[in-house]
Amino acid sequence: MIWFTWRQFRTQTWITIGALAALGAILVITGRSIADAYATANVAACPGDCATAIDTFLNQVTTSTSGTVYDLANAITYAVPALLGIFWGAPLFARELETGTYRLAWNQSVTHTRWLAAKLAVVGGAAAATAGLLSWAVTSWAHQIDQATGDRITPGLFAARGIVPIGYAVFAFVLGVTAGMLIRRTVPAMAATLAMYSAAVISMQEWIRAHLVAVSHAINPLDTSSLDTLNIGAGNQLTVVASAHLRGAWVLSNQTITTTGQLFTGPANPQYCGPDAAPQACTDWVGSLGLRQDLTYHPANHFWPLQWTEAGIFIAIAVLLAGFCFWWTRRRLT
Amino acid sequence: MSPPVLQAKGLSKQYGRRQVLSDCTLSIPPGRVVGLVGPNGAGKTTLLHIAVGLLRPTGGSIEVLGGHPASGAAQLAKVGFVAQDAPTYAGLSIADHLRFGAHTNPGWDQQLADDRITSLGLDRSQKAGKLSGGQRAQLALTLAIAKRPELLILDEPVASLDPLARREFLQGLMVFIAEHDAGVILSSHLVSDLERVCDYLIVLVASRVRVAGEVEDLLASHHRLTGARHELADLPTGVEVIEDSHTDRQATLVVRSTTPIDNPSFSVEQLSLEDLVLAYMSQTATDPRPALETTP
Repeated sequence: MIWFTWRQFRTQTWITIGALAALGAILVITGRSIADAYATANVAACPGDCATAIDTFLNQVTTSTSGTVYDLANAITYAVPALLGIFWGAPLFARELETGTYRLAWNQSVTHTRWLAAKLAVVGGAAAATAGLLSWAVTSWAHQIDQATGDRITPGLFAARGIVPIGYAVFAFVLGVTAGMLIRRTVPAMAATLAMYSAAVISMQEWIRAHLVAVSHAINPLDTSSLDTLNIGAGNQLTVVASAHLRGAWVLSNQTITTTGQLFTGPANPQYCGPDAAPQACTDWVGSLGLRQDLTYHPANHFWPLQWTEAGIFIAIAVLLAGFCFWWTRRRLT
Repeated sequence: MSPPVLQAKGLSKQYGRRQVLSDCTLSIPPGRVVGLVGPNGAGKTTLLHIAVGLLRPTGGSIEVLGGHPASGAAQLAKVGFVAQDAPTYAGLSIADHLRFGAHTNPGWDQQLADDRITSLGLDRSQKAGKLSGGQRAQLALTLAIAKRPELLILDEPVASLDPLARREFLQGLMVFIAEHDAGVILSSHLVSDLERVCDYLIVLVASRVRVAGEVEDLLASHHRLTGARHELADLPTGVEVIEDSHTDRQATLVVRSTTPIDNPSFSVEQLSLEDLVLAYMSQTATDPRPALETTP
């Protein structure tokens, strides 16, 4: 059964290996120029003026091919689990049901349960390995860039690093298998897989991930020397946001509050913040109000707890779906 | 005596409100070549799929070779199946299919498979998707035979084949039957496909088994009676009317009777197997035993 699963799956395997090898080659080549830029800008040896060194390094990276590859590699790492679900998972059953070959396959001396187990283990294992290899390559390739930008935890990067892509791939694959089994037609099953996978991943990113690990809070005096926003709106309403200064953190909310803990909304004093006042006057006035910065965030060291939890959740859902597939094969499909 | 090859009691299958198999009770003795005949959509495929474990019945029970269909690897090994239209993997070669059979069947007979492919003159490296319908059917039959089943089930194996391929396929089947001590069940909507090879017949019409038995017994117990209509209105008990066609005065009946019919007022004729099956097929689903109208 394992031989046959491999035989049916051979073409996809070679295509995947080819694609991974091509990406690997690109990463190896551009990885060298990143390392060169890192060394030239002397980022590693900077207790002196790190900000300048990092700026030089990042500037050189983003203006070279590596910048394009960085965006591309992130996009690919996001896309691959979905593609595995669509092209490996969904057709696994649907194609057999659609072309009628299940009537041949299920009358050899292999129980339907063993047949499903072999397929899930071999192809699912390959999906996990593909995503794992890809994520490992991209994570280690982008390591120096991620360190320089101080970001691998915010949405858009988080699921293209570490072990989360493996969880996504396993989930997408089993989701595809389940959809194929229920819908029994390849193309609709592929569409359903894409829709449900996207819904799951977007929900996770937008509403769930932030709560997987207890968030950190911090209340600091407002640092008026690094204001990100100072905006005077209608009715003298004043919006002030200071930079969070949290390297490597995922900032969920950054608010400016008054001494009594209320959200600071002004009003702006026209004497300092009016059209005739000096530019610095308003900032100084804001600094004199005793305002504080209220931060809710995941610090950089939450990266791995978040990774393990999120990957674990998706693998757990995949296991439940696989259990359903076994039950369905035994009870309903036959 | 060994157990029946297939024993069904009140077997039925329903999809929603649609009944595709109703109250099917059968007991097929071992060592027979069984023909399952009925019009398209009668439920033949459903019955066979239940027998090989591809479908679960919604009611009743079935045992095949004393076991539940597809209940385990051992049961699957005992039953060979060639599904309708002989499904094969279009992208895989003949050699791949044989390796597939060898890998998934402990009783696989490589010699038998090789000999068959050689005698059919097939190129092993050819993809199954490039084979003609007849060649594909032969490949599917080879896979089913080489696993050395005790019972071989074929669903409309020749329906889509041209007359020559049809004959070659049935010849291959008969060689297998002659050489191996296996039971065979094959379905068709054409009696002519079956009458040369079968010694047991099941007629399935509109989800119900109309008649089942040894071909010899069926032929001996069915008669065509022709005579004046009023004479035929009054038949002895034990004579079951299967089909009735009449003009105002003249009537032709197909009847089933275990006792010989001896009445000089009408003629008694032997039926061919085809006529016999057609008589059952022409019965309506709702009215399996049309009552004779009394003459005015």
